[in-house]
Amino acid sequence: MTVVTRNLKPFEYFEPKTIAEATQFLSTHGAKAKVLAGGVDLIFRMRRRQIQPEYIVSLQSIPGLDYIRKDGENLKIGALTNLRTIELSPIIREDYSILAEAIHTIASIQVKNMGTAVGNLCIATPASDVAPPLFALGAKLRLIGLSGERIVPIEEFYLNVGQTILQPDEIVAEILIPNSSAKVRGAFLKLVRTATDIAKVNVAVTLTIEDNICRDAKVAVGSVAPTVFRAKKAEGILIGEKLKPEVVEEAAEAAAEEAKPITDLRSTAEYRREMVKVLVRRAIGKAQERGN
Amino acid sequence: MQKQIARFIINGRPYEVAIEPRMTLLELLRDELGLTGTKYSCGAGECGACTVLVEGKPVLSCLTLAIRVREKNILTIEGLAKGTDLHPIQKAFIEHGAIQCGFCTPGMILTAKALLDENPNPTKEEVKEYLAGNLCRCTGYVKIIEAVLAAAKAIREGK
Repeated sequence: MTVVTRNLKPFEYFEPKTIAEATQFLSTHGAKAKVLAGGVDLIFRMRRRQIQPEYIVSLQSIPGLDYIRKDGENLKIGALTNLRTIELSPIIREDYSILAEAIHTIASIQVKNMGTAVGNLCIATPASDVAPPLFALGAKLRLIGLSGERIVPIEEFYLNVGQTILQPDEIVAEILIPNSSAKVRGAFLKLVRTATDIAKVNVAVTLTIEDNICRDAKVAVGSVAPTVFRAKKAEGILIGEKLKPEVVEEAAEAAAEEAKPITDLRSTAEYRREMVKVLVRRAIGKAQERGN
Repeated sequence: MQKQIARFIINGRPYEVAIEPRMTLLELLRDELGLTGTKYSCGAGECGACTVLVEGKPVLSCLTLAIRVREKNILTIEGLAKGTDLHPIQKAFIEHGAIQCGFCTPGMILTAKALLDENPNPTKEEVKEYLAGNLCRCTGYVKIIEAVLAAAKAIREGK
């Protein structure tokens, strides 16, 4: 049992007015500084003394980081856009419904009012409910650092549990979801103990089907490996085929093989692997039924 | 660590308080201002007992730095009644026996208020879903849900 302390250790609080100021500060202070967006995870871990940053860099005074908007190529979600705003956004519910559905399963309204989608990605928990739909929608992230910016596919963002490619001076400025993913057939499924608990297994699937043939498939799986991952073998089995039950079953089995689950208090590794199969099979079925 | 003067608007009233950056909103309310209606329980964002409304939205005061809600409108349970005239949700909680030990009640009522402000006519399922982040170890939730639905009706009918 980890003790949750009441008081936070002292730190210096910095509220930059621009991204450039933030990256400058982060570059100077490196690992001693932590970025604060919604604070759900950061303040929690500071209370537990899991991390004790000397500096907190709050993004809240940087104007123009809270938005959901579309341009010619992407739907963009800003670094300070909270989960509740995304869940309720008409364009996301309409065109990228698996993202809204996944966030809907994050049960506490308080956490969704505070927490941001970008913050959820940056803590790099394998149990994220935000990452799998974004993997399945082919999302990218815009990272901004001292020397410039780069855009990376979300599946290249993660290295390990709690680890990303983000450099000490970088922040994730926005999430980019390609317009080509709008209204794609998709499904998100999650297995949990209680409404507010984190996933034992979660799965997001998108399918492009033309003339009864699966032209594209993205199968993203969470909570059963050090990072959320794309089950590429499963996708390979689906693409180019008619999605008959035996093809779906083969893909579901492949996804289960690709998983690297652990045993913990929520489930055994064996059970998790079996449930990857079940959830992938069901998610493909659910996505197929959707008539976009 | 140096303290700085920050201004807060709590229950409609302005406060100026010398705070350290590490002070949480919960500590500001309870320890600095004596507004002990907001409860400290898990300290980890699991239980919802510390819920207050910031600009009308329920947030967890134990995981919110006070410095981040400077100049914002904060509503705590102390600000809900008008003098001795209780809010319809408070009345409904009393009438329906939705309070036992009372520790979850302030957070529960404030979350319910946010729900009814957003959605004046929720279904039972919508109430359960919205209150999922507020734990109660006494009531089994049945009476709480009944109370929120009754309060919704009373508010709609202008009572």
